[in-house]
Amino acid sequence: MTISTYTSTATYTRTHTATHLTDVILGTISDILADLGISASVLTRNWEQNENAIKAWITEGSLAQVILECRQPSGTVDPVIEFPVTYAATGTADTEFTASRARLARFLAKLDRVPVGTTCELLCAFNGPHSAQPGWGTGARTSTDGLQGITFGTLGRAPHASASLRYLHS
Amino acid sequence: MLRYRAVAAAPVRSASATWQIITDLVADTIAASGTLTRSDAMEAMAAAAPAGRMLVAGGHLDRHPLTLVAGLVHCEITTVSGTAALTTEENLNPIPGAADATTYTIYLPAPVPLAAVVAEAADGHPRLSDARPPAADDKKTAGAGPLIDMNAVRKAVAGG
Repeated sequence: MTISTYTSTATYTRTHTATHLTDVILGTISDILADLGISASVLTRNWEQNENAIKAWITEGSLAQVILECRQPSGTVDPVIEFPVTYAATGTADTEFTASRARLARFLAKLDRVPVGTTCELLCAFNGPHSAQPGWGTGARTSTDGLQGITFGTLGRAPHASASLRYLHS
Repeated sequence: MLRYRAVAAAPVRSASATWQIITDLVADTIAASGTLTRSDAMEAMAAAAPAGRMLVAGGHLDRHPLTLVAGLVHCEITTVSGTAALTTEENLNPIPGAADATTYTIYLPAPVPLAAVVAEAADGHPRLSDARPPAADDKKTAGAGPLIDMNAVRKAVAGG
């Protein structure tokens, strides 16, 4: 008989934090794309690769933010959703792993619609040096000049870091 | 008989790893059948994986179960995310009751806003469905009979 028990301890590793925040970020991107009717193939095609990369970068503390750029058929990039990651100095900022799922659902209901054929791209920005991860290369962000920002606030918290959401649109 | 299984998700496991655990649980359960194959269940769960990982990562599977119906098996599988995942007790043994199953269906939850994504995944394999699963009570008739023939036991004890 195989019964696995995870025992609660006071020792939360950075890996726990990275796993939690990666799930919160990718889960939120999934919900946003589904809500906007944008194909999630860019996400689902390489899910595990993206998951491993984001998790590794949060673990090493190099990830500044994940960025989702939505490109409309006209070429206009709108909206842009940013997921900044903030790191705690000591790892004791929070002892809970939380996600603001219900508040996010209410937030999604207010998002602007996008034209059919809108596609998306996933980018990451860094605080400094970071490890190379399979499937990820150098890229450049599109300017967000002219877009207005709505700050959702904290999306997920963990002992060593937290992730928030900022929605930029015309 | 309605059964439940809870699988620890983040921060214990990533969405991919969690979906793999659920896949193995479903496949191991189906493998107990004399006529169904583990590989078929693995294929069905692989077809569901793009939606499944999104359901896990978004925390939807915490609240909306995946339901496996196979013979006497009627099991709701959910995830546990966040702090509670660290103390969740898991039973990952195959769910009993599939030995005589000749068919099965994996009912995927289709919560807002992932309904269209789940529907697309469900179209990818005949064993998947995004419909609401039948009530567990419907299955009770199949499993309502006692597992032990008490008359036979009485006869044996009486030396009959």
